[in-house]
Amino acid sequence: MAAQLASGAVGRRLGDRVILAATIALAIVMVLPMLWAVGLSLKSNAELLVDTNSVLKAPWTLRNYYDILIGSGVFRWLLNSIIVSVGMSLGVLALSSLAGYGFARLEFPGRNVIFVLVLFGLAIPEQAVILVRHQLFSDLDLHNTYAGLMLPGMSAPFGVFLMTQYFKAIPTEVDEAAMLDNASRFKIFWRVLLPMTLPAQATLGIFTFLHAWNDYWWPLVSGTNEQMYTLTVGIASTQMNFAESAGLGYLMAQAVFAGLPILIVYMFFQKYIVRAVSGAAT
Amino acid sequence: MPGIELKNVTKTFGAATVIDDVSLSIRPHEFMVFLGPSGCGKSTLLRMIAGLESVDAGEIWIGDRRVDRLPPGERRVAMVFQHYALYPHMTVRENMSFGLRNVRLPEAEIDNRVTAAAKMLEITHLLERKPGQISGGQRQRVAIGRAIVKEPQLFLFDEPLSNLDAALRVRTRLEIAQLHQRVDAAMIFVTHDQVEAMTLAHRIVVMNNRRIEQIGTPMEIYSRPATAFVAGFVGTPAMNFTPVELSDGPNGFVAARLPDGAIVTTRIEASSLPASKSFKLGIRAESLDICPVGQGETAGVAQFVERLGDRTLVYVRLSDGSTIVAEDAGNSRVAINDSVGVKIDGGGVHLFDDQDRGHHAVLDGSAT
Ligand SMILES: Nc1ncnc2c1ncn2[C@@H]1O[C@H](COP(=O)(O)OP(=O)(O)OP(=O)(O)O)[C@@H](O)[C@H]1O
Ligand SMILES: [Mg+2]
Repeated sequence: MAAQLASGAVGRRLGDRVILAATIALAIVMVLPMLWAVGLSLKSNAELLVDTNSVLKAPWTLRNYYDILIGSGVFRWLLNSIIVSVGMSLGVLALSSLAGYGFARLEFPGRNVIFVLVLFGLAIPEQAVILVRHQLFSDLDLHNTYAGLMLPGMSAPFGVFLMTQYFKAIPTEVDEAAMLDNASRFKIFWRVLLPMTLPAQATLGIFTFLHAWNDYWWPLVSGTNEQMYTLTVGIASTQMNFAESAGLGYLMAQAVFAGLPILIVYMFFQKYIVRAVSGAAT
Repeated sequence: MPGIELKNVTKTFGAATVIDDVSLSIRPHEFMVFLGPSGCGKSTLLRMIAGLESVDAGEIWIGDRRVDRLPPGERRVAMVFQHYALYPHMTVRENMSFGLRNVRLPEAEIDNRVTAAAKMLEITHLLERKPGQISGGQRQRVAIGRAIVKEPQLFLFDEPLSNLDAALRVRTRLEIAQLHQRVDAAMIFVTHDQVEAMTLAHRIVVMNNRRIEQIGTPMEIYSRPATAFVAGFVGTPAMNFTPVELSDGPNGFVAARLPDGAIVTTRIEASSLPASKSFKLGIRAESLDICPVGQGETAGVAQFVERLGDRTLVYVRLSDGSTIVAEDAGNSRVAINDSVGVKIDGGGVHLFDDQDRGHHAVLDGSAT
């Protein structure tokens, strides 16, 4: 019995080690290119033109970052990206929560039909609607505005679906207890139910933020004025063609710069991201 | 303080009537238990009183206020739910004070009430924890605490003990009984557990199939069941039922002839019985005593023997093939397949007419 237990423990430890080794290997594979990019960004362009292996040798320089800071509109683009991503995330959270509460808790005619219609939105690719959307936003004079950049992302069928399921999972006894506690409907939503959905809010907010931050196509179509570029569009605009190697260090510095905010988001919300990805959102 | 009054209350869900013309009055400070099988509408009736279900017809009065159109928060009732329904993101203290904040009670008063209730329930050390960090039994106390601090006129409990383990259930049952003695409020307690009902209630409302079958004290319910349903639902083991033929017995009492031919003289007055096509006899095991063959009114063969320690239940197969449960002493020697006699206590006989209404032995001097 004791021997069995011990061997079980060893087996488990062995399994753990294999998984750990695999995880480390994977992490290295993923992190290396990023480190490589950071390395490249710290080299002068002239040196890189000769040999990119020079990354491993001194001298290193912050010249490329200096050039970014003074030479390009990158701060403006960064600000634009932050405004658009944060705005879109907040919008999605607000709309999805309200809609999710409605679908989960209110009885109104056509509720199921409308819910199914919303879910159809999941199946419609952006490519299918982008022309019409472009036309619509032109007519409404929304191009080159923050609203124009944010609004399309705010129709979030997945968010509505997620929040509906989440609200449905909360027992109605909780609402009823709050009703007996003299809470108004809005107070029940705001003070009782919404806080209970925090994990889902975090998941949805993070994914929306990342999606908005990385989005390229719609900002490229809608934000044609350089002042309205987001980071993705802005960085791409400084690169003349894809084979270009003259400004490699500069390009990498921009990429690192653009990635930093995402890194910061990851650091702050790691717990929620892990939960979101593992699906154990409680 | 006046009590609680339900007048001809009806509830339908779609086409299904769940509560059908129920009237009931509860005295101030009374402990009332709704007892009945699953799905009979106990929770629905309770939730109508709480304001969580609309009332389709009829009136509900709490004290001198008609409440059936008032929102739940304004009825001065507090409810303890089966699954606690605590707010998981709030601490125990916040859970208990949420309702008081909503009515803008002064902070000092909120603090006093929460402190007092926590002390009474011995949960003071848990006040700063969240519901996820305490045990199921402790959660139930918090839920009760949340009700107490509201100082309601009426407490509503919907099967509050069914999620607790056996030992905790007995303890919490006692605590609820004590709580009732301390607070100046009526209580309605829903359960399908007859032991809970018998031990807690001043009066029991036995419900079945959308209606009230009987309202009475635990002993009335037990010894003078109004209907065959009540007789069969309350008491363990369940009451024995058998069809009988009636004839006149001595002193105006009726005599009943069992299917196996045995004659039992009851203590039920013939004059108290209505005209009825047929009668069913009901008798509890405690009125059927095992005795040597030939000494009792009837006899049969022991099929099962259940030893409960203080007494022994013997399942006896009678000559007509039916089985009855009789009682013997704790140290009974009866074994399976033994022939045994059964002594029938005529005073314990109940008769049920073709409407399933119960008729019972005369009380001292007065007829039923
Ligand atoms: N919202 C509803 N819609 C339709 N039917 C309902 C609804 N709520 C309850 N019912 C029906 O009403 C009947 C009574 O339900 P209720 O919950 O009051 O039973 P109960 O006596 O509390 O049972 P239990 O002991 O299982 O809790 C059941 O047949 C149930 O199916
Ligand atoms: Mg119920």
